[in-house]
Amino acid sequence: MSSETARVSAASPALYDPLRFNRKTPPCAVVIFGANGDLTKRKLMPALYRLAFEGRLAPGFAVIGMSRTAMTDDEFRDRMKEAVKKFLEDSPFDEDLWRSFAQGLFYRAGDVMNPDAYGELKRCLEEVDTARRTASNVLFYLSTQPSQYAPIAEGLGKAGLATGSGWRRIVVEKPFGHDLESARDLDAHLQQFFNESQIYRIDHYLGKETVQNILAFRFGNGIFEPLWNRRYIDNVQITAAESIGVEGRGAYYQEAGALRDMVQNHLAQVMATVAMEPSATFSADAVRDERAKLLRSVRVPKPEDVPLIAVSGQYGPGRVGGEERIGFRQEKGVDPESQTDTYAAITFRIDNWRWAGVPFYIRTGKELPKRVSEIAIQFRSAPLAVFRNNGTADDDASVPNLLILRIQPEEGISLKFVSKRPGLGMTLRPVSMDFNYGSSFGERSPAAYETLLLDAIVGDATLYTRQDMVEASWQAVQPILDDWASRKFDFPNYAAGTWGPKAADEMLARNGHTWRRP
Amino acid sequence: MSTVTPDRILKELADLWVTTAKPPEGESHEAQAGGVLRACSMTLIAFVDDEENSMDLGETIAMLMRGHPSRAIVVRIREGEDVLESRVFQQCWMPFGQRRQICCEQVEITTSADHLCDIPSIVTPLAVPDLPVMVWLRSKRVCERGEYGGILPLGGKLIADSSHMVEMAISTLMAFLNAGHTVGDLAWTRLTDLRQLIAQLMDTKKPASVLIRYSGEQPRPEPRYLEAWLTQALPETRVSLERDGNSGNAIVMVRVDEDLEIDLHHGGADYRSGSMKQTAKFKADTDFDLLDEELGITVHDRIFEKALRAVAE
Repeated sequence: MSSETARVSAASPALYDPLRFNRKTPPCAVVIFGANGDLTKRKLMPALYRLAFEGRLAPGFAVIGMSRTAMTDDEFRDRMKEAVKKFLEDSPFDEDLWRSFAQGLFYRAGDVMNPDAYGELKRCLEEVDTARRTASNVLFYLSTQPSQYAPIAEGLGKAGLATGSGWRRIVVEKPFGHDLESARDLDAHLQQFFNESQIYRIDHYLGKETVQNILAFRFGNGIFEPLWNRRYIDNVQITAAESIGVEGRGAYYQEAGALRDMVQNHLAQVMATVAMEPSATFSADAVRDERAKLLRSVRVPKPEDVPLIAVSGQYGPGRVGGEERIGFRQEKGVDPESQTDTYAAITFRIDNWRWAGVPFYIRTGKELPKRVSEIAIQFRSAPLAVFRNNGTADDDASVPNLLILRIQPEEGISLKFVSKRPGLGMTLRPVSMDFNYGSSFGERSPAAYETLLLDAIVGDATLYTRQDMVEASWQAVQPILDDWASRKFDFPNYAAGTWGPKAADEMLARNGHTWRRP
Repeated sequence: MSTVTPDRILKELADLWVTTAKPPEGESHEAQAGGVLRACSMTLIAFVDDEENSMDLGETIAMLMRGHPSRAIVVRIREGEDVLESRVFQQCWMPFGQRRQICCEQVEITTSADHLCDIPSIVTPLAVPDLPVMVWLRSKRVCERGEYGGILPLGGKLIADSSHMVEMAISTLMAFLNAGHTVGDLAWTRLTDLRQLIAQLMDTKKPASVLIRYSGEQPRPEPRYLEAWLTQALPETRVSLERDGNSGNAIVMVRVDEDLEIDLHHGGADYRSGSMKQTAKFKADTDFDLLDEELGITVHDRIFEKALRAVAE
């Protein structure tokens, strides 16, 4: 049975109440490779438990954890219980529910590089299918080192687990390769055993409520879309700042860097969401087609242009709030001469009719002054500054309108415009009209992993990345990666607790722009 | 007795915002950068009898404000003395880690039953323009008198709870439904989690029979709604109600053929299907939880409306 057939057969039963019931989920088993790892404990298991708490999982549900550590089912359940209790956010832990949920947790120790492990997994899946009635639907979740993705796909494929009487899907975490070529290689390996419709490339940024809200904001309202183009928008700034360093992940981060870790995937997807054309429907492929089209429109920089449109940075020691912060090169596991970028600022250009001439500035970095992710859309100034020459307006009157889409924290939307100050005379002052996601809807927002896991279980790939999108975004950053790899930077070039290297300010200044201070 | 005019209430509300936005004595506007954010997504009108515990009601409304920020108008109906008066205030809260208070408006009108006829002319102009109007009808006195028609503009929603005033609420809901309004019954809302569990468990089944066992002398609206819903959705299934002999007023068990049994208990259900025994958690059925669900539905709920018509027959 194909995955599509399975989805259709589970839809619209006579008793389904679309107005009040949660989205219908089919029975299934989730196999987690790397089940003893951090991601499983911190994100995956709390998300699955929370889905169970909300009654969003079908009664026929099971989790099979797999990793090299020897453990019994009960030991695995105990570890997962501790993890859920520790990392569950905004939710109570319910012992009765856990007992019921834990009956569906199983564990098999195995080395994913050993083909025998997959035979054992197959037997386990058959047993679980009988005991838990999972309809032979299986979601394989690869929460392992990226180097193990291809061997796992191969192991599953050769053991006959990539197909079955129910649907089979495989979820892979970023990074999807470390450059364009390796991304293609990885995909070729995966596609030997799984077809594109079975592969779910997770980008947890797309699972964030506020990123999804960008689509609602743009395409659910009639008033913004007419302004959403080069005629009215001067520039777009996307910021993803972290106020902490690499926090013990120095060894991993040293191989990745900010451009690979954030820009190529998360922020390119956010840019695509902000700039894409409206899709004809809200189906997975229609939305992803538009995102992919946008990413293919991103201008691939010429090698000689890279120094003008890309700035690399690395934090050095600094002092924040009376606390001494070490530099990246002093982090554990980091080469003292490391050339890794902990900061990246890029000017992207989108070569289509809507965005020609509008720079999209993207910056991300570690050890910046505050943790904030936002998109600032700066509109063009009013064509005539009628209040400037009458001697009563202050300089603020010339402040351009800004639309801020805040992703985290304080998720929401703000529109800045000028207003007359009360009193005699025509003095203008910028004011802010705010929509605060958390306070306008006091409900708890699901964590990104809850949204994305549920989507994978129901077969909705809208928020997952497709291979053509992965390749398009690698293509856009590849010349920058190549250029940076060929140069020796004078790092560190910004102190911890500051807004990045001076060169990033200069990059915008060349276009007559300045970074917004979030 | 004083008179109450909508203009005066609106002015009091406007004054309240000015006062709230003023910085404390000795602080400049700049120092008080956080300020106040007004939140409003609907008008919520609650009709309650004066005997209602005002603390409980206030708490329910305050909690609802977080998810459904609204201009709340509470109309308290008092027996006996001749009274018609109003007061305005705000429900404010400071989200954790933020500098800005979020505030919603609340108007409380106290009236004697004799003045119920004046209420529509006061309340109608107070509804926030362009936003939905929700009427939560908890007052038996209002139900008995039926003087609420004028305050519910077409497109608004009437929410009652037939568990509290069975036949009166059902007939009131039917009257509004027949007039084209959107309606909701908290007795139906209480069933959502159970209905969802039944739908999940019976996904691929076409059962021959479903037995609903309830406690109490007569079936309350909940078992009757459940029976109506199952009968309509599964026309070939025999659905029956059965008393369990105990006192109370709840659904205690649902059995589907012989292989699925759902035992309800406080806060959830245990269910047995073949060899599998599992537990499901239900959300709490406080007024807040139930209203939270109902206020989120502003369109006609056709499944409920069909069940309501069946129960009303």
